[in-house]
Amino acid sequence: MQKPPVLTVVLGVFAALLAIVPLGYLVLRLAEGIEAASAELARPRTFELLSNTVLLVVSVSLTALVVGVVQAWFVVRTNLRYPGFYAVVATVPLAIPSYVLALGYVSIFPWFSGFWASWLVLTMATAPYVFLAVSAALLRVDIAAEEVGRSLGLSRLQVFLKITWPQVRTSATAAVLLVSLYVLSEFGAIALLRFDTFTRAIYNAYRSSFDRTAAASLALVLVALTLVIVLLERRYRGDYLMQRPANPRRLKQDLGKLQTPVTLLLALFGLLGAGLPMAALLNWTMIGSSSTDLAKLVSATLSSFGIALLAAILVSIFALAVSIWVVLHKNKLGSFIEGLLWSNHALPAIVVGLALVFFGANVTPWIYQSIWLLMIAYLILFLPNGLAAMSTPLAQVPKGLTEVSQSLGQSYRKSLTKVILPIASPGLIAAAALVMLTVLKELPATLLLRPTGAETLATRLWSATEELAYAQAAPFALVLVIIAGLPALALNASVRKTYAEVNEE
Amino acid sequence: MFAAALAAVSVVGLAGCAPADSDGDFVVYVGRSETLIQPLIDQYIAESGIEVQVRYAGSAELAAQILEEGENSPADVFFAQDAGALGAVSKAGFLRELDADLLNLVDPEYRAADGTWMGASGRVRVFNYDTDKVTQAELPNSVLDLAGPEWRGRVGIAPTNSSFQAFVTALAKVEGEEVASQWLAAMKENGVIYEKNSTILEAVESGQVDAGLINHYYWYAKGNEVGFENLNSEIAAFDSQDVGNLRNVAGVGIVSEDPRAKDFVEFLLSETAQQYFVNETSEYPLIDGVEPPAGLTPLDEIPAPEFDLNDLEALEETLQLIRAAGLI
Repeated sequence: MQKPPVLTVVLGVFAALLAIVPLGYLVLRLAEGIEAASAELARPRTFELLSNTVLLVVSVSLTALVVGVVQAWFVVRTNLRYPGFYAVVATVPLAIPSYVLALGYVSIFPWFSGFWASWLVLTMATAPYVFLAVSAALLRVDIAAEEVGRSLGLSRLQVFLKITWPQVRTSATAAVLLVSLYVLSEFGAIALLRFDTFTRAIYNAYRSSFDRTAAASLALVLVALTLVIVLLERRYRGDYLMQRPANPRRLKQDLGKLQTPVTLLLALFGLLGAGLPMAALLNWTMIGSSSTDLAKLVSATLSSFGIALLAAILVSIFALAVSIWVVLHKNKLGSFIEGLLWSNHALPAIVVGLALVFFGANVTPWIYQSIWLLMIAYLILFLPNGLAAMSTPLAQVPKGLTEVSQSLGQSYRKSLTKVILPIASPGLIAAAALVMLTVLKELPATLLLRPTGAETLATRLWSATEELAYAQAAPFALVLVIIAGLPALALNASVRKTYAEVNEE
Repeated sequence: MFAAALAAVSVVGLAGCAPADSDGDFVVYVGRSETLIQPLIDQYIAESGIEVQVRYAGSAELAAQILEEGENSPADVFFAQDAGALGAVSKAGFLRELDADLLNLVDPEYRAADGTWMGASGRVRVFNYDTDKVTQAELPNSVLDLAGPEWRGRVGIAPTNSSFQAFVTALAKVEGEEVASQWLAAMKENGVIYEKNSTILEAVESGQVDAGLINHYYWYAKGNEVGFENLNSEIAAFDSQDVGNLRNVAGVGIVSEDPRAKDFVEFLLSETAQQYFVNETSEYPLIDGVEPPAGLTPLDEIPAPEFDLNDLEALEETLQLIRAAGLI
């Protein structure tokens, strides 16, 4: 295998150095009080939190997988009526920050709290990751093999489990990895729904005791959990299978009598993930519309949009470089760096934020409280999202094409820029869109690191909800969902485009 | 695309790479709500001609931020929601001693013993209750009564919130750790746990919980927002000298050597600003010559225990107590 291009290595190593900052910070804080830290870890409460956390991560990952796969399969592989509509419905929750989702539920059902509430909200918030990954993979599944399976007398379920699933497994497990780490680091929704997890304990350690050592020891447990999950995922996902272009000859399952029940099921998912919270949001917006400060709304929208677009571009450049290295030129250093980049991904954003406050104020004061340190925070927090989304399209470029191009005398670099990247580009752009909407929704690190005086939709939303002024919060939340909805729809569009091409046959 | 993003960013004036630093800008970290505080700051800017850059976030987050920034903190002044956040920053040595003429504006009860921070406005703990669920006869005489079996699952508390923790500290100081532990253990059964004062009030208002322990001004803020006649809940004080009536402050400390900092703190203690707190947030003024909000008992007539706010620094022991009870 060829050596990775120098630029990808340089960018990859730079990103890895940045990823070390939070880890180094945690070790530094831990070293200040090993005894206090071990006492913190030995508390029975810590184990209680650990089991709560594991319970939530496992249950949400499983249900998000089931919901996402069910949505994807019915939309892509059956003669469901209005599949495009259900594809959009399945994607929309991605644009809604999970704390807004939780807020929507709480405002309608004040009793909504605890484990089941958190489970429901986080399942709905994360299922779109699975839906997008799996529906893209399902479009490229080898239909002929399925037909052979059917002709050999396997049931539909057996065909799915034995023939279809192995082909979408890689994409599905990569999505589940994102889901599980999302749940590990989630704070806003969990706090609102009053379920205690590790991340909430970390926030409390900072907030109520200003105990940075205790917080650091808890955070390092999260890093350890993350590494376990990442390793499990690597073991289970297997290699990217040799992918084929979308198969024009579709085998569409006829839903027959199931048409109505399936429609109802998908509609129920849509109602839970988007309908209810959006209805609550619209209701508040109407109540609060008279008191909405339009100037604030416009300036927050512009800053949110500018910041997220810039971050999406930066993160995408790095994610592309690391993906090229890891997917096309797999070597040990590359895998190590990929692991390092992922290791931060379950850290609550407040930990990454404070690590960068410490680093920024004391080591690089010239970028402290400027937009650039904020960009570094987004790079650390969301590079794994970019990696997860970019690896698949790169891996799906048929290897034969590169070989042909090189045998025709093109340099490797030319093959990369003229053949591989153009073929992968829809997926790469979708990945950038995913990063952009994730940045739009981010709050804790933004609050800590934004330039003084700069307000985004997320920070405005935060200050309004702090005062429980839901009606004032609603317009900011609504605009945030709309803005984040644009990249979400772009993501969805790349899936639907392939889908449409297939259906014209 | 990249250029578009940069343009969009610079339109909103963020691209300026120069961070807020100690030699130029005057920077105030504010741990209170922007809606509440910005009009006051605008007034200060208009009166003094001094440009003020304000960073709004939670008090605890800002305290953590100053602790991490250390000597390089861009902040000149820290205006916090509660004494705990100021105490943490002061303990780490990042607050400067205030001049005596500033400190003497408020009663010694409402400022740090070492003079590193002082109260800017006052508030009291109250018993918030749903008038349909709690009868007048049922109203507890003491916060300790809430440990009784008749309150099982009926009282909203916020164990992770600093104002609740301040109350527990006071409880342990005034009644002893034994009593405090027993009370907390009972609250494991009787209490319903919420994130903060405002969520307790929402829960009482929406009928999720019968009563709750909150700071008085949340109820006034809610009343001002939706109309007092539309509230489903009332607030009540406990008996005279009961620790449940703890008085507390939102306060301010100076982080840098910038001479403008003192001027700003002076402004917060001026009649204008104190009257603003009275009118806009229904908080208690801390200086002489400004009357408390109409309908509120004057602070020194609140039947609250003699208690030194400086003791609130004993947070570590308080947390141990709350943790031992399994509430956090």
